[in-house]
Amino acid sequence: MPFHLAADKTTALPDAARMVPRGGLIALGGGLSARLPMALVRELIRQGVGDLHIIGSAHSIDMELLIAAGLVKICEQSYVGFEQDHGLAPAFRRAAEEGALEVRESCCDTILTGVRAAEMGLPFLPVRGVAGTGVRDLHPEYGEVVCPFTGERLVAVPALRPDAVLIHAPLGDRAGNLHLDQPYVLDERLAAASARTIATVERLAPSGEVAEAGIVVPAHYVAAVTEIPYGAHPASCSPIYAYDRPHIAEWVEAASAGPGGAAAYLEKYVTGTDEEGYRRLIGQGRLERLGYGKRSEQAWMELFR
Amino acid sequence: MKFTCDEWFVSELARTIRDGEAVFHGFASPCAQVAMHLAKRTTAPNMMLIEGAMYAVDPTPPFIPPTGNELSLKTGSVYSMRFEEFFDAAMRGDIDRMFLSGAQIDQWGNANLTAIGGMPRPKVKMGGGGGGCNASATVGSLTIWSTNHRPGRCLVEKCDFITDIGHRTPAGTRAELGYTGGGPEWMVTELGVFDFPDGRARLRGVFPDVTLAEVEESTGFPVRVAPDFAPLRPPDRRSIELIRRIDPLNVRRREFRADELERVFHL
Repeated sequence: MPFHLAADKTTALPDAARMVPRGGLIALGGGLSARLPMALVRELIRQGVGDLHIIGSAHSIDMELLIAAGLVKICEQSYVGFEQDHGLAPAFRRAAEEGALEVRESCCDTILTGVRAAEMGLPFLPVRGVAGTGVRDLHPEYGEVVCPFTGERLVAVPALRPDAVLIHAPLGDRAGNLHLDQPYVLDERLAAASARTIATVERLAPSGEVAEAGIVVPAHYVAAVTEIPYGAHPASCSPIYAYDRPHIAEWVEAASAGPGGAAAYLEKYVTGTDEEGYRRLIGQGRLERLGYGKRSEQAWMELFR
Repeated sequence: MKFTCDEWFVSELARTIRDGEAVFHGFASPCAQVAMHLAKRTTAPNMMLIEGAMYAVDPTPPFIPPTGNELSLKTGSVYSMRFEEFFDAAMRGDIDRMFLSGAQIDQWGNANLTAIGGMPRPKVKMGGGGGGCNASATVGSLTIWSTNHRPGRCLVEKCDFITDIGHRTPAGTRAELGYTGGGPEWMVTELGVFDFPDGRARLRGVFPDVTLAEVEESTGFPVRVAPDFAPLRPPDRRSIELIRRIDPLNVRRREFRADELERVFHL
């Protein structure tokens, strides 16, 4: 996997999304309601990059939009849903129950193990657990190894080497050095394992400022970086803004009403506009109200009531 | 003092934590989350509390948010583990207890978080199991919970799909499968508390407004009753106050059906 050594990798969002190959193995950074690469997800939908095999840890509205747009062939994650917050993921559910989506459900550490094998240049790595569960049956590609030293039997997970990982970061420089706030989830490992990292950042800054904040994903893994304010919305981008709970509820309600509801959401917020238009639709005032800033604990809590 | 079913339930979960343990809950687990913060402030001050999807060590969140990786959940913590750091610890056996739930749970403590009706064509596709499939194999002890026992569809004879492993699956026992963790130790439901003395669930006690007949009616496998079976002991006043302070948004209550939340008790 060659490193990406250009000094300036700033790229327009449509060109960044064109680096994602149709039919590719694509990883999503972030997780649950935090730091999801939503601007890139929306751009992939605008361009109709389909037949994707998506991996990641636990995801939510990013997967929902991709699935509702018909772009996902295989979903290999540990969870797709909205926790106790908004419950089951309606588009994911519908596609899985109708057989329109191959759910190759996995678990957090098993995905990590496959990604680590790729990162280490190994064809596989062993993992604990999985044997004897239904998850094992969903993965005929797994094997079994016997430890040459102890005789222990373990499940062997083949390397997961994504064609690209999509990551959104609060801060980055033009070379692609990225600062992230914890939790990093799988992002560091995915960046090292993937052929290329495609990044969006809240703000481009001089390298010195990014280095001072702390570089979590170094530039040599990153092929493209694009400045997109609120690029994780409606997910959060800590420490800048919280997740937009009512907006996520709007998606869940629309998608629960049926394919028509999901299509209307996508037309309004994704295919019918660009990222600037998206921010206008959400409204600058509302976006600013999500900001953590110097918020009191009480006001912070009120965001989620 | 008046208190509700969710508050007693959370205090039963907290009682399963021993002081000094390293304890973890997954995402989408508000009852377990509140229970861990309660235990840390009461019976288990020396526990290591690892906060779900933040992997933050011993945080003191000002409130529990409705999502598992909100910034508030690392408030007060000076260190957050990396994702891989936590799972490595779980795999090598350094995590003593994890809380796990499921839409279906059998008498061995296997849990289904994947699909009602099984895969590949589920009747209901659920979110998935997160890290439970790996961690249930290696974590020291598991506390399982369900807030959906009464309708009779959760504690089943056989799970449609096994996501998290209990004491044995059709493929073998934990020993035969090479699993290094101890498996389910406790199971708390909105009706009562079970232990697993020989790998199979056994009823230890029920809430005072629940009868043994109700538990039997709601359970898909024969209910074994412990010789010391007794009504559960209510939480103390301080615990109830702490639960309300830890979770002012009442996120824990989202796990319960509306009629269960109407169950009121008095101290």
